[in-house]
Amino acid sequence: MTDTRPLRAAVIGAGRMGMIHGHLLSIYPETEVVGFVDLNTRLRDHLASQGLRAPFYPSVEALFTADTPEAVFVCTPTHTHLSVVRECLSRRVHLFIEKPLATTRTDAETILRLATEAQVIHAAGYVYAHLPIVQAAHDLLRNGILGEVLRFTAHAYVSEVFGPKRGWFFQREQAGGGVVANMASHLLFILGWFFGPIRKVVATTRSHASTVDDSAQALLTFASGVTGLLDTSWSMPGAQMLDYGLTIDGRRGTLVLCRDRILLHLLAPAPGHEAGWSQIHASDLPADTTFDVSPHIGGEAFYRQLHSFVQACQSGTLPFCSLQEACNTQRMIEAIYASAASGAPVEVS
Amino acid sequence: MNHLVLEVRPPESQHYVSWGERLETVARFNQPDEVHALCEKAYSLGARAVLAVFDDTIREALAAFQRWRDMEVWAVLPNMFAFIRDLTDRGLIGAARARFMRLTPPQMARTAFRAMLDLGSIRRQDLAVGTMLVCEMELAALRSLRVTRLFLHPQVTEVALAGGAPAVFMALAAASERLGIDSGLVTHNPLRAATVLGADQRRFAAIVSPCNPKGYKMFPNRESCERMFSSDPARFFASEVTAGGTVAPEAALAYVRALGLAGAVLNFRTVEAAFRTNAASCSSP
Repeated sequence: MTDTRPLRAAVIGAGRMGMIHGHLLSIYPETEVVGFVDLNTRLRDHLASQGLRAPFYPSVEALFTADTPEAVFVCTPTHTHLSVVRECLSRRVHLFIEKPLATTRTDAETILRLATEAQVIHAAGYVYAHLPIVQAAHDLLRNGILGEVLRFTAHAYVSEVFGPKRGWFFQREQAGGGVVANMASHLLFILGWFFGPIRKVVATTRSHASTVDDSAQALLTFASGVTGLLDTSWSMPGAQMLDYGLTIDGRRGTLVLCRDRILLHLLAPAPGHEAGWSQIHASDLPADTTFDVSPHIGGEAFYRQLHSFVQACQSGTLPFCSLQEACNTQRMIEAIYASAASGAPVEVS
Repeated sequence: MNHLVLEVRPPESQHYVSWGERLETVARFNQPDEVHALCEKAYSLGARAVLAVFDDTIREALAAFQRWRDMEVWAVLPNMFAFIRDLTDRGLIGAARARFMRLTPPQMARTAFRAMLDLGSIRRQDLAVGTMLVCEMELAALRSLRVTRLFLHPQVTEVALAGGAPAVFMALAAASERLGIDSGLVTHNPLRAATVLGADQRRFAAIVSPCNPKGYKMFPNRESCERMFSSDPARFFASEVTAGGTVAPEAALAYVRALGLAGAVLNFRTVEAAFRTNAASCSSP
């Protein structure tokens, strides 16, 4: 049975991502923001000046004493996710957790176990997977457009770190790592979604600007047999926003996933596709978004991400971006760091 | 069509098909001469205004260009990507200080005085007051340019529209009126803007929003946006006219013209494609 009442949601952590989710929950027709939680109570006025006037609480306990949200959006620093989730799941409340899920695989899997035992809907904030063009690439692969997928190359670059940085985001203990955990994880999530569970990783990482990993190269082998290379850095000049790309080779052709288009090369015709080169542009895909909260970063993906979570809560069916999928990403992150530290391949169980 | 407007933004803040295209374009448009040449191409196509998010290169290029050509500058402020980067590198105080230090002594005195008047709001991190303070400092740094319209950066605009917070827009309109220039909006959400601003939308001389025959980036959908445009076409300027390069410039402009909009905003790709087409038609027998 479908429940169409507005989903009553609270945002825990009123930093940049918390504010974005607060705005989306305000504008989305089937949700209602019932509260913000942050230790920094001075943010109350800042939120109010943006039109975010839901009650503000200094703690999760205060939120649940005053109200009974049906869902929480956990947007606190990564190292706090597990404790926030534990506190929230003392009630039955659906969970949306910003990426990465945790600072360690163990914590991430504990979060998944707690959410599963509580029988709540859960999702992780890997927003780029919600771009229509990424979903179109997923659908093409799932429908076997390339036949057996063999290999890939991928990159994720941004101009962010060219010297020492401050804040929790650049502390390994609090953020779970550097560029791999916090930027490349978007692409790792997509790779896991496309190719399945990870099996083996060989990687190197380097810290050349900050105290965490600023760049990394990883050779990833998935249980499906797909292998590929990921190159990532947040110290590349020329990209104020995350620039990613993915080239996938299969027995029947090649798919190149870019920011706003898919370039497809097929060795033979496939249903709906000619042999040779063709292009699918984002503008060719059906539009299903009513508000663009961030035209340059994420775009309509933020709205679609929320839509996917709300639909999941209403239908009782986990979304594709569930914590289970996010745990696969966390296994990749941890394996990359373990391989880089040991200098040896890491098998992932 | 009344106006063609060239859009320039720091090349690092745009999306590209490949990393190679990105590096080539970023390297190219980091040269003021290349931005200047782009302006000249746009001018030859009929553009008489530049909608600009600024970095040092763009500021230098436009200052040089305005010495030669009668080209208005429509300033999009603040440069949010640079500001957010400064926030993480230097903190809020450091980011504000960096902009303050670029001002002349009289501008510093004026800015400091205004900040003192708004001290309470600044301490509360009020969106409208904080944004306008940064805008006014960045605008002061554009003193070598003839700026005729002020716009808020879309990252601020969309957040304020989502929150239904008109204060920042009213502050922009008031600041523009004080300066004797127009204000405008750049938004992907023109219907929401109409809801949030109501009758005050008339204070904004230009609203730049996506408009193309494919409905690309037209939220919530093409039909609703076009209905809104047709209610007050002289206020609207079309952006994303080629739908990410999938519609030929001539067809894209014909579409905008048919809707009777005030003008069209063209990015560097569209200008260069249209310029090549024009050059080819001029040279063909």
